[in-house]
This record gives sequence, structure tokens and C-alpha cells, in this order.
Amino acid sequence: MPPDAEDDASKAFGRKGEADAYGALGLVVSGVLVWGGIGYLVSEWLDNRLFVMLGLLLGMGAGLYLVWFRYGRQQ
Amino acid sequence: MTTWLIAAEGEGFVSPGPSTFVYPPIFGEGTFFTKPMLITVLGAAAVAVFFLLAARRATVVPGKLQYAGESAYGFVRNSIALDAIGKEGMKYVPYLATVFFFLAALNISGILPGLQFPATSRIALPAFLAIITCVIFNAIGIKRRGLFGYFKELMFPPGIPWPVYILLAPIEFVSTIIIRPLTLTLRLTFNMFAGHLVLVLFILGGEFLVFEKGGLVGIAAGSVALLGSIVLTFFEGFVQLLQAYVFTLLSALYIGGALADEH
Repeated sequence: MPPDAEDDASKAFGRKGEADAYGALGLVVSGVLVWGGIGYLVSEWLDNRLFVMLGLLLGMGAGLYLVWFRYGRQQ
Repeated sequence: MTTWLIAAEGEGFVSPGPSTFVYPPIFGEGTFFTKPMLITVLGAAAVAVFFLLAARRATVVPGKLQYAGESAYGFVRNSIALDAIGKEGMKYVPYLATVFFFLAALNISGILPGLQFPATSRIALPAFLAIITCVIFNAIGIKRRGLFGYFKELMFPPGIPWPVYILLAPIEFVSTIIIRPLTLTLRLTFNMFAGHLVLVLFILGGEFLVFEKGGLVGIAAGSVALLGSIVLTFFEGFVQLLQAYVFTLLSALYIGGALADEH
């Protein structure tokens, strides 16, 4: 099989795109889970539901920031 | 749609649910060997026998079986390992090929007449393979960069002011160590779970409409459902191969990510 350089490059890019898509999803989900979970624990401790909300928002924001940091910046 | 309506009338049709996936032991009460286990053993044996026969008496000009075996193995080598990892991927082809063909065999058993149950819809199988993948890519990363260096690179990417690390480091850790194997497991398990459920619903629902419910409406609607189940069976076969491919490809990409030097 003679390797076609251009085809190989676009293929590799497609693979990387797939991995990045799952990676980005994983980061946002992890952000919500980690900080939402911490917010939940804090709200149980202080008996104040507000911290769940704060944790979820914080986690989502941090996750989205990480997606931008990892995949969205101009290289 | 039609089957739901009929089922809702309470005419004796029990729609399939999670209990569809629970099998009694094959050899009666007190034994433990169930149909999903049998399919797992058969699938592993089928893959092993195929590749052993294909590799036996290998010649320079391959026979039909050897050609089939080499093409199958070459597919994993070229389109998964070399594509996703690069030259270093050659070392991991045996693992990736094993995972791909084992999963493909167990997935496709969902549409094989006589078996008709995807063993991978039981969560233990995908979970175990996902854990192996997780151990492999973490071990590679730790071996390459040392325990400290690996987690430093994973959790503290350069170029962020240090207070923000408090916010980001746990997210990076969880997304790599926990979410990756978790999503590998859930993606495969519930694709197989949902696919099997849909097939069972169409086939049993169609059968119920035609043979139990009867009448013009019942036979017409049931026939549509049964014809639809044939189309869905082919579609399910496609999904089953695709999900085996996706699982293997993501495993390869994770391994490739652990091998690559970050900048």
C-alpha cells in the first residue's frame, strides 16, 4: 500500500478530532462532577443549598475554560 | 409506536426491560453458568480458532484463510494502531487487535441466530476491558515521565497562574483517571443494551400483534414491526462493529496520548 501523505494527514487529523471531542466532553463533565460534588458536600455541611449551585456553575466554568485552554487556543 | 399503544391497553404483552438481560443458569438451579458467559467463551474461542487457523502454516503466498486473517489483523494495525499512535503503535497492536476482535465477536453475537444476545450489554465485560486500557495508558505515562512527572504534566499544564490550579487540577485528574474508563464502559454497554432492547421489542411486539392480538390492525401493524426488525437487525450489526471499533480506537488514542511528548 503506497502511503498517500495528504490522505494520511487528513486521516490523522480526523482521529485527533474524535479524541478531542471526547476529551472536551470529559473535561466539562468532570468539572461539573468534581466541583458540583464539592459544592454538594459543603452544602450538606453548612445546610445551605446555595453551594450546590455555586459548585455546579464553578465546575462548568472551569471545565469550559479547560476545554478552551487545551483545544481552543491559537497554536 | 404501535406496539407501545397495544401494550398500554394491557392485553397481556409484557414489554422488554432490564429483566430481559438477566438469564437463569443453563444447567439449572444451583449452577452459575449463564448464557452471557457461554457467549463470552464461544466468542473468545471463535476469535482464537480463527487466528490460529489463519496463522498456521503461513506461506509467502497466502491462502484464503491466511489472507482473511492477515487483512483483519492488518486493519487494526493500519487503521487503528498506526493511525492513532504512529510508529510506536506497533508494540500495542496485539492488545488492540485482541480487544477489537473479542468485542466485535461478543457484540455481533447480538444478531447471530441462536445466540441473539450481545454479551457486552452486561456491564462487567466492557468495564473490565476499560480498566485494562486505563491501567495500560497510565502505566505508559508513569514509565515515560515518572510518577511525579506524569501527574504534574497531567494536572498542572504550564501557562496558567498558580491559584487557578486549585480549580483545574482535580478536574484534569478526574477526567483522565475516572471519566475516560467510565465513558469507554458506558458507551459500549448501553449501545449494546439499547440495541438489544429495541430488537427484542420489535420482534416480540410484532409477534404478539400478529399471533396473539390478530385482526386486520394487529396483523398489519405486527407485519410492519417484524419487517422493521429485519432492517433494525442489519443496522444493529453495523452499530455493533462500529462500537467495537470506537472502543479500540479510543484505547489507541489514550495510549498514543500517554506516549506523546507534550510541549
